Amino acid sequence: MKKILTFYFAVLMLTSASLHSFAQSHNLVVISNPKGAPTEITHTELLAVMKGEKQRWNDGTRISIALMKSSTTTGEVTSEKIYGMSGDEVNKFWLALVFQGKAKAPVFFNSAADLETYISQTPGGIGVVDDTPEVKSKPMLVDGKKSL
Amino acid sequence: MRISLQSKIWLTVCSIVLLFSFFILIYFPAQQEKYLLKNYNKEVQNLAGTVALGVKIALTEQNFEGVQTALDFVKNDPHLRFVSMAQTDTLWNAARTGFKMNRVIFKTFPENAIVAMDVQSNDSIIVKSAPFQTNIMSGEILLGFSTDEIIQSKQQIRLTSIIVSITVFIIGIFIGFWLARKISVPVLALRDAALRVGEGDRSQILKSSAHDEIGDLTIAFNKMVTDLKQAEDKIANAQAQLIHAEKMASLGQMSAGIAHEIQNPLNFINNFSDLNIELIDEVADAQSEVEKKELLADVKRNLEKISLHGTRADSIVKNMLLHSRIGSSEKQLTNINAVCEEYLQLAYHGIRAKNIEFNCTINKEYGIGFPQIPAIPQDIGRVVLNLLNNSFYAMDERRQEDSKEFKPVLNFSTSHYDGKIIIRIRDNGKGIPESIKAKIFEPFFTTKPTGEGTGLGLSICYDIIKVHQGDLKVESKENEFTEFVITLPAA
Repeated sequence: MKKILTFYFAVLMLTSASLHSFAQSHNLVVISNPKGAPTEITHTELLAVMKGEKQRWNDGTRISIALMKSSTTTGEVTSEKIYGMSGDEVNKFWLALVFQGKAKAPVFFNSAADLETYISQTPGGIGVVDDTPEVKSKPMLVDGKKSL
Repeated sequence: MRISLQSKIWLTVCSIVLLFSFFILIYFPAQQEKYLLKNYNKEVQNLAGTVALGVKIALTEQNFEGVQTALDFVKNDPHLRFVSMAQTDTLWNAARTGFKMNRVIFKTFPENAIVAMDVQSNDSIIVKSAPFQTNIMSGEILLGFSTDEIIQSKQQIRLTSIIVSITVFIIGIFIGFWLARKISVPVLALRDAALRVGEGDRSQILKSSAHDEIGDLTIAFNKMVTDLKQAEDKIANAQAQLIHAEKMASLGQMSAGIAHEIQNPLNFINNFSDLNIELIDEVADAQSEVEKKELLADVKRNLEKISLHGTRADSIVKNMLLHSRIGSSEKQLTNINAVCEEYLQLAYHGIRAKNIEFNCTINKEYGIGFPQIPAIPQDIGRVVLNLLNNSFYAMDERRQEDSKEFKPVLNFSTSHYDGKIIIRIRDNGKGIPESIKAKIFEPFFTTKPTGEGTGLGLSICYDIIKVHQGDLKVESKENEFTEFVITLPAA
C-alpha cells in the first residue's frame, strides 16, 4: 500500500513539474480593444487590471476582462503566469470579488478566436491569449515586451 | 340500570358529535399540520436543490454573475429569511496525514443576516441545505424560510376546526331534539296509549303524521286497538248471548220446579174452593145454628188455607220473576238459609219433574244464629241452584249406570265459622275425574252431552262468588262423592 501511495505521489509531482515547465515554455500575449485601452502597460498595471483593482482605463472607459476558461491550457497558463494561482483559485478569487460586489467578473471563453472577437467588439476590453500566428489583434506591450 | 329511549338518542348523538369533534379539533388539524409541514419542508428542500443546481452550473461555466442569479432565484420569496452559500474546504495537516472539513459561509443574503454553519430548523424557521460540487469549489446552499405561513395556516386550520366543531355541535343538538321529537315522543305516546289500552281504555287512537316506521307503528297500533275493540264487542255479544242462553236453560230447569211448586198450592186452592162450595151448600141446608156455625168455621179454615197456598204461589211467582230479571241487583241483607232452602226445593222438584223415577235422600243441616249477610239473593240462589242441579244430574247418571241398589244422597249444610258463611253441597254421584278438576270453572267447559249444557254454569257460579268476595272450591273422588264448598264473608 505504501508503495502504491509513493508511486502516485511521484506521478503527481512529475505531472506538476511538467505543467510548470510547460507554463514556462508557453508564451502569452495581451490583446486589447483600441478604444480606451492603452497600447502599452506595465506588469504591475496589468496585474491590477487582472485582479479587478483597476476597473477603468485612464480615459474612463470601463475595463472588460476576457480570459480563456481554466479548463483550457491557455487558461491554466494564464492563471499561473499572471495571477500566480491555479485556475480554480483564480475562479474562487473572482467569485469572491463578484459576491463582494467589488468587481465585474471576467468573461471566459473556450476558444481564442471567440475571445479575440469579443475584445474587438468591446470597448475597454482586455484579454490574454496564446502567442500564436493566428492572433490578428495587435498585442499590448507589457513592460515593453510583446509576450509574457 | 334503565336508560330511556330519549337518553339513548341523546347518548348516541352526543357520542357522534364528540367523536366528530375529536377528529375535527384534534386529529384532522394534527394531520393537516403534519402534511403542511412536510410539504413545506419538501418545498424548501426543492428550492435549495434548485439554487444549488444553478450555482453548480454557473460555477462550472465560470459564470460568476450566474451564481448570483441562482441565488436571486429565491431572494424575492417573502418567506425567505436567508440564503447562504457555504464553502467546504479540505484542510490537510502539515504532514498531510490527516485532514478536516472546514465549512464556512461564503455569501449570505440578506447581507445583515448572521448565519451559523450549524443553523438548525426551529419553530420559527425551516433550514434546508443542498450540496453542490464543482472544480472551483464545493459547498452547499443553505436556505432559511420562515414558518409564519405554516403558523398562519395552522391558526386558520384551528379556527376552521373550532367553527366546524361548533357548527357540528349545534347541528347535533338540533338533530338530538329532532330525533327525540320524531322518535321518542311518538314512542312514549304509544307506550302511554298501550298502557291505557291495557287498563281497558279502548278509545286510544293516536294521530300519525310521520311517514316512516314510527308512523307505520302508530297506524298498526290504531288498527290493533280498533280490531281489539271490535273483537271485544263481538266476544261481549257472544258472552251475553251465552249467558242469556244459560239463564234460559236454568230458568227452564227452574220452571219445572216452579210448576211443581205452584201445582201443589193450586191443587190445595182448587180442592179447598170445591170443598167450600159444598160446605156453603151444606150451610144453606143446615138444621141448627150449631151445625151452621161449625160448617162456617170449616169454610173459614179452608179459606185461610186457600189464602196460605195462594200466598205461597204468589211467592213462587215473585221469585221466578226475580230470577229472570235481567242485570245484577244491588246487595241486600240476605238470609242465606232461606235462599238455600228455597232453591233446594226448586232444584229437587225440577229434577223430579223431569225424571219422576229419581229420588234422593236430602240431609239438610242449616246453621242457626248467624246473621244475614250483604248479598244479591237471586245470584246466590242461582249458584246454589246450579250446584244442586249438577249434583242431582251426577247422582242420576250414576243411578242409571249402577245397579238399583244405589241410593242418591245429598248432604246440604250451612254453617258460620270465623266470620264466614260456609255452604256445603255434597253428593254421592259420579264424582269429577282428577284430570278435569282444574278445568271445571273454565268458561264453556262441560262434560254434559251436546245441547244439555253450555259450560258456563260453574264459570258463572265462580264469578258470582268472587263478586261477593267469597270462594268456591270443590273436592271430589270419582264414583264416590263431590263436595262444593261456598265461602262467603259474613259482613
